[in-house]
Amino acid sequence: MAELSDKAREEFFSEAQEIIETLSRNLLSLDQSIKAGTSDPSLINEAFRAVHTLKGLAGLFGAARLGALSHRLEDVLDDLRLGRVELGQEVLDVLFGAVDAYTRILQAEKADSDEELDVEQLFIELERIGASATEHESPVAGYELDPGLLAVLTEYEEHRLRANIDLQMQLYRLRVQFDLSTIDKVLEEMKERAKRHGEIITYLPTGEATSADTIELDLLMASRDDLATLIGSLGADNVVIEEIPRRARRSTGAGSGTLPPRHPTALGRSDSLDMQRGDVERGGLEQATSLRSLTQTVRVDIRKLDHLMNIVGELAIVRSALGRVAEKLRGEGQRKLATELQRLHRNFDRRLGEMQDGILEVRMVPLGQVFDRLARVVRQISREVGKEIRLVITGAETEIDKLIVEELSDPLMHMIRNAIDHGIELGQRRVEVGKPLAGTIALNAFQKGNHVMIEVEDDGRGIDLAGLTEKAISLGKLSRSEAQELSRDETLALIFLPGLSTRETADDVSGRGVGMDIVKTNISKLGGVIDVHSETGIGTKMTITLPITLAIVSALLIQAGKHTLAIPLSSVSEAIAFEEGAVRLVDGREVITLRGQTLPLCRLDRLMALEVAPDSASRRRFVVVAALGQRRLGLVVDFLYGQEDIVIKPLGKSLAAVRGFAGATELGDQRVGLVLDAAGLIEEVLAGIDNAPRTLERASG
Amino acid sequence: MANLTQSTASRLARRVGDRGPVREFLMFSLTGELYGVELTRIKEILSPPPITMVPRAPREVIGVCSVRGLLVTVLDLRRKLSLDERPLTRRARILLGEAESGEVIGLLVDEVRHVVRLAATEIEPAATALGGDVSEFVLGIGRPAGEFLILLDLLSIVSG
Repeated sequence: MAELSDKAREEFFSEAQEIIETLSRNLLSLDQSIKAGTSDPSLINEAFRAVHTLKGLAGLFGAARLGALSHRLEDVLDDLRLGRVELGQEVLDVLFGAVDAYTRILQAEKADSDEELDVEQLFIELERIGASATEHESPVAGYELDPGLLAVLTEYEEHRLRANIDLQMQLYRLRVQFDLSTIDKVLEEMKERAKRHGEIITYLPTGEATSADTIELDLLMASRDDLATLIGSLGADNVVIEEIPRRARRSTGAGSGTLPPRHPTALGRSDSLDMQRGDVERGGLEQATSLRSLTQTVRVDIRKLDHLMNIVGELAIVRSALGRVAEKLRGEGQRKLATELQRLHRNFDRRLGEMQDGILEVRMVPLGQVFDRLARVVRQISREVGKEIRLVITGAETEIDKLIVEELSDPLMHMIRNAIDHGIELGQRRVEVGKPLAGTIALNAFQKGNHVMIEVEDDGRGIDLAGLTEKAISLGKLSRSEAQELSRDETLALIFLPGLSTRETADDVSGRGVGMDIVKTNISKLGGVIDVHSETGIGTKMTITLPITLAIVSALLIQAGKHTLAIPLSSVSEAIAFEEGAVRLVDGREVITLRGQTLPLCRLDRLMALEVAPDSASRRRFVVVAALGQRRLGLVVDFLYGQEDIVIKPLGKSLAAVRGFAGATELGDQRVGLVLDAAGLIEEVLAGIDNAPRTLERASG
Repeated sequence: MANLTQSTASRLARRVGDRGPVREFLMFSLTGELYGVELTRIKEILSPPPITMVPRAPREVIGVCSVRGLLVTVLDLRRKLSLDERPLTRRARILLGEAESGEVIGLLVDEVRHVVRLAATEIEPAATALGGDVSEFVLGIGRPAGEFLILLDLLSIVSG
């Protein structure tokens, strides 16, 4: 694939990825529908189409491994949708295996690696399924069907026809005149209306159009309703409905033996069609619909959106400058001009805001994208470890920045693996303690102000606090006496230590002792925090709090020492006047009391060793209360400038080791202001208060 | 600068034959000494914009500034080379170079002079001229027309 341009390659990968995700989603829905005892032919059909597209794509890009797998998978799905193979859990397992294989192949292709991927077993299983396929005896011969129509049925349509006949449905022929310009829409509407009565199996041009602008189609429909009902519902001036009579018991014409081969290439009567105008070749219609839906979405590199966002940020600077000019004009007595300019300024301000929102909206994607992947993981792990798991997802439509979504799937996967492996008890044990056999994992997402909360909750045994403490002691993370002083929450926080795992044996799923510390690191990189609650015997709930977007944030501009700093407003709960006299010292640490609660203080200038502004001692100062999750910290600052929307740019790699800053932003007048990392500061300062984390840092660092 | 490079390149081509391969260095002064870095390593030369100090950053970091929207970390070359500090004059410039990581780094220097062309025979390798225990940043000593030029490895300075 080396000769392809990078752009084309990326397009290919992202499209392939998308298709594989669709496939996976279809399989999950199929899994559910099997469990519910229903079947939805459109799901298998969609899966088949996904694989078919992937096969084409693989051919186009010379990705042989992808092509080989798609080819085999397509055969099996074809057998499934045509009813030659029964869909069951075993078959579904193999299909899920194929999704995993796809992912591995795609990764290998991406890395340009020719590494041997072990897909042989999968191929054997796929072929075994194919070999079990059975052919059906055709009942189609029992109807007076037009042989011309039968000759062009695809195998799938043939299968649907048989299935409907098996269900004792009556067959009807609808002869409909369509206007060429609206045929797509009208046909869709007809299909929709027909659904209430049955199913439209196929349609075929009759070649007897009355004018150049119209086309006549024969629709073959199966329905449980009688002719009068159908006429009442679907009948119109341009629609003629006839019942297709059952044949008397004799076999002529289109018997099962003479049914045409699958995938006919030529159409019986297409010669009279005006192909250029309507493209209404049967089957072409279907294709046209799917093509249209594809072109309505545009895949955009997120960096392009970042670029647009940067421009918006720079326009915001222009906007501030405009405001200043207007003020200046007013000061110079040019009232009329000033008013006019201010009106323009306000207008500009509003439009810029709309543009900003628009770009942000484009960056937003529903969390469902990640949740779908997780659902697959749950299914797979629960089968591996032999625990029955019910996954309940709420809030999949909650939207969050695309970049955050990308970074979320690994942490969430770790958490869910932990929940299944460590949390949920074995079935027998659950029954003994009076819980339902199937364990429940709830994955909840919702928006709360400028944050998105994601909860992973299980109804398992809860975190074993004593075991956790013992493990931490045995790893030398803390002493026995320190352990005794820990509060319940502090003990729970031990799970975020590197190397901690409460299970003695490392196994495939989790319990290798990596996990929660990495989860926590990844979440904080996104500006989020993670909290854990656990009740012994009842379950564990982990809550992740994340900012909605990384691109643009409202921030409070403050001064500390000689520095102008920004604090993201999302992590600020309030700002109050600072009174030196109200400060109390607890164990050498400064705190104040805010509405009856103790608020630890952090003097930014001291913490950061900032140059102190000369008059700071005499001036009024302020406390900005930073809050994230359950934790609060009061930052003592010298001045509050007010609120501003800022674009945060990360500090360069050479400053990666500098803690306490989330990045920098342009302040206008060419200056750059640093943006405080509130989560990091809270972590850093409060670590000095909680015994546990401080000890931990010493031990691990 | 592109023009400069092109016109010198054609002149260089003619001279390659007599003195062996020729490299171009940008000459600048720092605490009274003359230094050179290879011209191809320099992306841009700027008058210093306002620089924001970064608390807790390593000592050689002066701070960050914005170059047309790009956030650039600025290093004080004097601190990096353990030289005495002197107040900046209005001749001070920032040289932009690219680190191995792709990050753009600014280097603050006292004054930019001009471009010199050095043939291989005019460059003493650091180890020969100064012995084994030399800073990794020093490539060698250049001696164009009686001058003494400390040649620096820009890439290792901005990457380290």
